[in-house]
Amino acid sequence: MEIELLMKRAEELARKYDISYYEVRIAKINATSLAMQNSQLEELSSNTEIGIGVRAFSGAWGFSSANDIRRAEKAIETAMKIAKINRGSSKVHEDDPTSEKAYIKTKKDFENIDLEEKLNLVREIDRLLKGDKIVNRKIIYGEGKKWQFYFNSLGSEIETLVPKIRLSFSATAKEGNDMQSYWKVFGGTRGWEVIERINFEEWTSFVKDKAKALLRAQLPPSGEFDVIMDPELAGVFIHEALGHASEGDAIKNGESILGDKLGEKIAVEELTVVDDPTLKGKFGSYIYDDEGVKAKRVEIIKNGVLNEYLLDRETAAYLELEPNGHGRAQSYNYQPLVRMSNTYIEPRDWSFEEMLGEVKRGLYLIGDKGGEVDIANGTFMFGAKEGYLIENGEIKAHIRDVALSGKILDVLKNIKAIGKDLKIEFPGYCGKGQWVSVDDGGPHVLTKALVGGLL
Amino acid sequence: MIDELIRILNHKNVEWEIYWEAGRGSSFKIERGRLERAQRKYHSGIGLRIGYKGRQGFSYITGLNHDRATLEKFVNRTIKLAKVSEVPFLGFAKESKFKRVKGLHDRKIEELSFEDAIEYAKVLLEKEKELKEEIGKAYTLSGSLAFGHAVDGIANSNGVEKQEPSTAMSFGLYIIKREMGKNGSGSYYKGFRNIPDFEEELSKGLKSALRDADLSFNAKQESGFEGEVVLEPHTAVSIIGILMSNLYADNVYHKRSRFENPGVDVANEAFTLIDDSTIEGKLGSYSFDGEGNPSQRTVLIEEGILKSFLFDEYYAKLMNAKSTGNAVRDFRTTPHIGTSNLIVDGRREDLEDLDNAVVIKKVFGEHTANPISGDFSLTVELGYKIEDGELKPFKDNMFVGNVFEVIKSINALGKKEEELGGFISPRILTFGKIV
Repeated sequence: MEIELLMKRAEELARKYDISYYEVRIAKINATSLAMQNSQLEELSSNTEIGIGVRAFSGAWGFSSANDIRRAEKAIETAMKIAKINRGSSKVHEDDPTSEKAYIKTKKDFENIDLEEKLNLVREIDRLLKGDKIVNRKIIYGEGKKWQFYFNSLGSEIETLVPKIRLSFSATAKEGNDMQSYWKVFGGTRGWEVIERINFEEWTSFVKDKAKALLRAQLPPSGEFDVIMDPELAGVFIHEALGHASEGDAIKNGESILGDKLGEKIAVEELTVVDDPTLKGKFGSYIYDDEGVKAKRVEIIKNGVLNEYLLDRETAAYLELEPNGHGRAQSYNYQPLVRMSNTYIEPRDWSFEEMLGEVKRGLYLIGDKGGEVDIANGTFMFGAKEGYLIENGEIKAHIRDVALSGKILDVLKNIKAIGKDLKIEFPGYCGKGQWVSVDDGGPHVLTKALVGGLL
Repeated sequence: MIDELIRILNHKNVEWEIYWEAGRGSSFKIERGRLERAQRKYHSGIGLRIGYKGRQGFSYITGLNHDRATLEKFVNRTIKLAKVSEVPFLGFAKESKFKRVKGLHDRKIEELSFEDAIEYAKVLLEKEKELKEEIGKAYTLSGSLAFGHAVDGIANSNGVEKQEPSTAMSFGLYIIKREMGKNGSGSYYKGFRNIPDFEEELSKGLKSALRDADLSFNAKQESGFEGEVVLEPHTAVSIIGILMSNLYADNVYHKRSRFENPGVDVANEAFTLIDDSTIEGKLGSYSFDGEGNPSQRTVLIEEGILKSFLFDEYYAKLMNAKSTGNAVRDFRTTPHIGTSNLIVDGRREDLEDLDNAVVIKKVFGEHTANPISGDFSLTVELGYKIEDGELKPFKDNMFVGNVFEVIKSINALGKKEEELGGFISPRILTFGKIV
């Protein structure tokens, strides 16, 4: 069905069902993925998908979606019917209409690279990962382009194109009954240039060596320790310890412990935390969110003070604030939710060596193994890929399988030092009933946390 | 249209398999005493696998209403992928007899209009409002409700042709207590294949979520502990979840599993673990899997001895075994190994009425654990010590251990089972450490 015709039909149906606000997303997604394990290609797929997602509002939301485009009009009508039945008294932020074609451009379009070259890439990585004690090698390459046309009842018409590329590889080492893995992920809203910049010899050696070294690493101690986090771990730390609790829907629903703390000092003065979807080429970047709101840099914490929540149209209206472009949906068949994008800790002026000198007995923890948060109780946890014991300012034994836990309102005040070496290059996915691509990072950070070690 | 597609495929000199789905879902979200969100979503599509000269190609198409030209294009594109692919192809499932599992489909759910569905959501809303009136402003209540109906079908060039309708309904409740700078939360989730006595189930759920919210509100961080612990089913699913990838044949084949062969002693004899897709009316049940192989009961660990891995067709052929009917998929993906209903069984004891025990009710963060070394450190969302029959709740500690040690230390299982989605388990008595 022609988009213009659909727009006209949506207008007519909105009048019929007395709908005050509606928005429609029509998306076309091209995705290619390759997966290889121990030299065996396990997946090679290339698919295109078209679908429509519709939200209608009349004090409460009605949503419908279809992946058969012939059902597009039906999806619009269904969403509006639902909204009509489900009238409520909530509000939604309505802004001035925008018309824009916002394409994220790449230096080298991955769709112009032969499939054979991509196959050679995974074969080559597989070859490089081979080695003594390495029993498993796994490589996953994925690329996708999402074209989306968004229109709403305010007259906005926004056409976006977001390219994404991601490459991950892992090695598992085995000795006797003991096995350990290590992995590395690259990615961004960029093109094939991401792949061309990787030094594969170096990174595959690094991953193999780490997997093997972890076989000899000790189990971590348990208890409360001073902990230096590397930039990657600092990223997942701030994503879990602050990001989720600052999402507007958690505030609106009374779930987050940061509910009435806007303007309050909740962290050390040195701490500034940013969520910025406008960073060029990062995995969590976009120009417009899925509610047709322009992406904005948000300072969640500014000099220790809770400064701003992450907001979408609905939570902004509820809190009587301006939306800041954080309404994101996994795909056309999901309703937008308040989500993070690229979340990081602003650097300060500590060097790593100075930080190390501050620690009598503690841990230096490296790499992100994911995390989780309970925003109601204000407790979070996250895992590190590896670490080292620190004794009297010196790095000692290698440790493995480390996870930490902390209380949001304590841990942000326990930060003792923030480094100057900012890195935001750790692409991943964040789950909240839906998966969205994110990035996070920071400099090295010294804090205190509960370490759940086996010793 | 499926017949048309089969006709096209039968004219090509290739082996083929199609997997199709068509479904509809309605769901509702209640936030702070308001029905804020309602949705009705439709999905349908076909996944096509082509086997050609030992190679496999795969692609999918959304929707089930395509003309012949579109279907031809779809088939030719997938054949082309098979020709350039290096993904090995070892053959599709053979036609075999299967027994239809009962109780997976409820006509009432299938025929439920949106207006009827929203009435159920309003019942949930009213029940929460009533409770809120009773318990006061320190509490915030939210909830969710979902209904789903789908038909899945499979056909291949070996003559397999099956389809199965199924339905599901689920609700979730979430209660937060916040007062004087203290916080607590409790939740409850339950799923069904058929519409139950909804009001009764809601009452049970609200009672359970409220009890947990109050316990959590009064919980404090405990000092460390090492010794016998009782894992409630919620914690058991987190711990067994860390173990599971070691029982998938693909991980065994590719050396990403702790285990190599069945027949070895891996757990205490008090512990048995079964995957069973044949149980009537259960959420994880199906009559045939994503490749058309019949559902079955597979004993994975019996009285501590490793008996079997979970197989799909591909890894069964690679490893000289038989598929256990554990290929899971949707139309967008090729089949991969997964569980159906996972059942913890074994030596039973009364673990329900304990005077002295350390009980771990819920943990979180299991995806950060290392499934191949087995090491885990999980945050305790809620636990309690029972001292002379008195409950002392705790939270924010970490439950640490190694999953392979945990299953070796299981001494007994409780008598009362709980169903959490497709996981069915009693309480588990084992050895653990809390920091």
